[in-house]
Amino acid sequence: MIKNYILVALRNLWKNKGFSAINIVGLAVGLATCLIITLYVIDELSYDRYNEKTDSIYRIDADIRFGGNNMKLAVSSDPMGSTLKRDFPQVEQFVRFRGYGGFQVKKANENLREDRVIYTDPTIFDVFTLPFIEGNPKTALVEPHTVVITEKTARKYFNSASGVVGKTLTVNDTSNYKVTGVIQNIPSRSHFNFDFFVSLAESSEARANNWVSHNFNTYIVLKPGSDPKLLEAQFGKVIDKYIGPQVKDLMNINMDEFKKSGNYISYSLTPLSTIHLHSNKTAELDANGNIQYVYIFSAIALFILLIACVNFMNLSTARSANRAREVGVRKVLGSLKSNLITQFLTESVLLSFFALVLALIIAWLFLPFFNQLAFKEISFNLFAQPWMLPLIMVIIVIIGLLAGSYPAFYLSAFNPIQVLKGKLSGGFKKSWLRSGLVVFQFAISIFLIVGTVVIYSQLSYMRNKDLGFNRKQILIIQNTDALGSAAGSFKNDLLKLAGVEHATMTGYLPTGGWRSDNPLFPDASLDQKRAVSTQTWRVDEDYIPTLGMKMVKGRNFSKKYLTDSSGIIINESAAKLLNFKDPINQTLYTLEDIKTKKLMQYKIIGVVKDFNFNSLREQVTPLAFLLEEQRNSVAIQIKTSNISGLIAQIERKFKEIAPSQSFTYSFMDDDFNNIYNNEQRIGKISVTFSVLAILIACLGLFGLASYAAEQRVKEIGIRKVLGATVVNITEMLSKDFLTLVIIAAVIAFPFAWLAMNSWLQDFQYRITISWWIFAAAGITALFIALFTVSFQAIKAAIANPIKSLRTE
Amino acid sequence: MIKITDLQKYYRTEEVETVALNNVSLEVKEGEFVAIMGPSGCGKSTLLNILGLLDDPDEGSYLFNDIEVAKFNERKRSDLRKHNIGFVFQSFNLIDELTVYENVELPLIYTKVSATERKKRVEEVLEKMQIMHRRNHFPQQLSGGQQQRVAVARAVVNNPKLILADEPTGNLDSSNGNEVMQLLTELNEAGTTIVMVTHSEHDSRYTHRIIRMLDGQTVTENILV
Repeated sequence: MIKNYILVALRNLWKNKGFSAINIVGLAVGLATCLIITLYVIDELSYDRYNEKTDSIYRIDADIRFGGNNMKLAVSSDPMGSTLKRDFPQVEQFVRFRGYGGFQVKKANENLREDRVIYTDPTIFDVFTLPFIEGNPKTALVEPHTVVITEKTARKYFNSASGVVGKTLTVNDTSNYKVTGVIQNIPSRSHFNFDFFVSLAESSEARANNWVSHNFNTYIVLKPGSDPKLLEAQFGKVIDKYIGPQVKDLMNINMDEFKKSGNYISYSLTPLSTIHLHSNKTAELDANGNIQYVYIFSAIALFILLIACVNFMNLSTARSANRAREVGVRKVLGSLKSNLITQFLTESVLLSFFALVLALIIAWLFLPFFNQLAFKEISFNLFAQPWMLPLIMVIIVIIGLLAGSYPAFYLSAFNPIQVLKGKLSGGFKKSWLRSGLVVFQFAISIFLIVGTVVIYSQLSYMRNKDLGFNRKQILIIQNTDALGSAAGSFKNDLLKLAGVEHATMTGYLPTGGWRSDNPLFPDASLDQKRAVSTQTWRVDEDYIPTLGMKMVKGRNFSKKYLTDSSGIIINESAAKLLNFKDPINQTLYTLEDIKTKKLMQYKIIGVVKDFNFNSLREQVTPLAFLLEEQRNSVAIQIKTSNISGLIAQIERKFKEIAPSQSFTYSFMDDDFNNIYNNEQRIGKISVTFSVLAILIACLGLFGLASYAAEQRVKEIGIRKVLGATVVNITEMLSKDFLTLVIIAAVIAFPFAWLAMNSWLQDFQYRITISWWIFAAAGITALFIALFTVSFQAIKAAIANPIKSLRTE
Repeated sequence: MIKITDLQKYYRTEEVETVALNNVSLEVKEGEFVAIMGPSGCGKSTLLNILGLLDDPDEGSYLFNDIEVAKFNERKRSDLRKHNIGFVFQSFNLIDELTVYENVELPLIYTKVSATERKKRVEEVLEKMQIMHRRNHFPQQLSGGQQQRVAVARAVVNNPKLILADEPTGNLDSSNGNEVMQLLTELNEAGTTIVMVTHSEHDSRYTHRIIRMLDGQTVTENILV
């Protein structure tokens, strides 16, 4: 029996090649998309799983409110880790990471910039599973000026991964670091990714016992069976015992008073396995993923699969009239309804298997493209897991059954007498379910179109928003600290070049990156109630003109006033929080040293208009400029048509001063756009998926339209004989489908609005979703549908009516 | 073999109720060859469908081999049908996707006959219908007469006690039509009961008895033999 079913199924597929192709290709594309997204989700969900102790590793995070600022930090204070280990028996081990930025490493005569550098405790190898190729993990980072490097770094500097231990690396031309270990490269699915692990032993900050400064990403390992909640419950005591005295010492208040004025400090444990997808705090070790996108993509995958299944159901039932006679004959010959159901389900499962094979090929071919799009290194080998194949098989059978169920029940219920007499009623137009399914498909497509347009509008809004500074035509020469004291004259030399308008020397540029806040106090008593948590940037007097920022009060720094070295310029947000009647000439205090309680005082000389120095996801926070030399980079405003020529000139100047240093530069525009890499990627991915969804939906619509035309060929013939024009016929055939698309739009719009509005809430600076986005999405879908349908409709309309009438 | 008494069948649409069969009673004995004749819409096809257990009557009794089948459910009817009744249609109703051989084999599959037995029986009947040389062709590749021979082969392959033929020659030219009627006669002579609906006086002459119908009622019976 089953052989007979398969035989008929195969011959049927072959006989209706067009339909079969649409069916199989549609389902395969849907499945392939689903497979790729599944890989992406598996990849995202398996971060940090390479660690043997994954489930017992926790990061200590701080949530602090102080000086008008609420900070959710992925870092904690320097003594936290060791204190927890000492005071709580369930804490087995701890390790701290401290980023001090990158450095220059000498290779032959050249200095190479390395950014993947982290300073850490020797216990790192007890906590994380980072296998050694060479060296002893127990002793590797105990001594100061030692470094453990990854295999690829060893190959880069020593051309070998072995025999490297004991050799030295010269850093910043000044210090030598002894390599004490070579570890395997960090797995791609890790929430941190470093090539240099430098011993923290040389850092005095790491031993400062400063409970009120948070700079260390601190991880602890809990002993098996211990409950992290119980440990978290003890954090209040830790705060009272250790932080309380330091706050008292510093600000002369106890913790209760500190809390009364609306401030707080609290700590929590973040499980390692949740960091990648659930943690997006200040001072993360690397940009993390976002569980929201995992949900969104999973939903899209499901939607696309549903669209493909719907196609399958629709095309199969639409074709049912052609199968009706077969059903009738089989019933007359003794087939039961259940036999027929089995037969049609067998067919659809078979078809799904064809689609699966094709889908695997498509997914395999397009995975590299997706990786590029999503900035991922997902391997097709993820499918090699033992549970994967059976799972896919089960899913395919389910899809086959699901997609085949409606046609199976529909077809098997045919009355044999009627179908054998050729009196099959029901026609094409009457199927509510089929119409419902088309509506469903297009609703999803329109939803995706709206989503994509909103994402792109927000991106373009961010790209073009007036940020309060000019980022166009700003060239940034990095690594100028390598020029040492000659950096200042380098900047002055650049100003003499044709095409250079302005130049400023500082590493504090408004293109993202985390910088810690310091409290500014409006009086010398350090009254914490009036403290304003502020970023302080060290800049020169050319900074504001170079970046085109505007002063709202007072003046910029100037060489004319020697006292400007103790002047300060604050932004509008800081001025608002400091709440002076007139901020100009008011004095601000900062704590220079916690131990000695040495104060610094600054006179406000100006207020700069607020500019966005963080991402547009966040509000502008308080910020202050101090006049102080900072040599990290030189930013120049250029005005030339020959940019590459100018860059070559600058490079020559740079190399004249420091021939062995690497010359690197970037455009502020690009740096700025990089802040939104994630959104841009999401945008590109959602465009791709939307196009796919629409494509699959259109494939189905095309099939249905051609079928509708085929079914109504006699009606069309009669109408033409009676005088209908091609336009009349095309209109008649297209109208039904277009109505469905309009209904779909009406259903999709509110959902799309809700979803995209909630996405936009992540941005402090955002667009409002205007009506034209919906209009555009609706009209786009309508046109695509019209194009798809009218192609078939016109074909049917121009056919010779005599022919169709005679064949009946 | 067949005994129906006071059979009623109505067709209802939303507004109209049409009486298709109105108190029809008749009897067909084993080995008979009966023609049902009458103008279009007189109810002869409805009667044939009820006889073939494809449709159920609204009222009345239907004894098939002395078993009351009028109230049988779908499964029981299907079971009885596939073992006892063969059908021949005006429009052949062969499955386009199956070859001649596979079409004829189909009833045997539904009655769960073993593969070797199936092969034997299909070949036998194809031989008998002189269509063996076309066994691997598809229906569209055959002439009308050949297609109807395949349909007859399919109807008899299960050795049914009863063959119901609905205008078996309606789509055929006269020589092919005669050939099919000859075939049915031979089958009848070999012992199969046949009930045939026809418009053709010529075809009806092959039968033993003609039942004439009008407006849902049997009006006359002519005994020919």
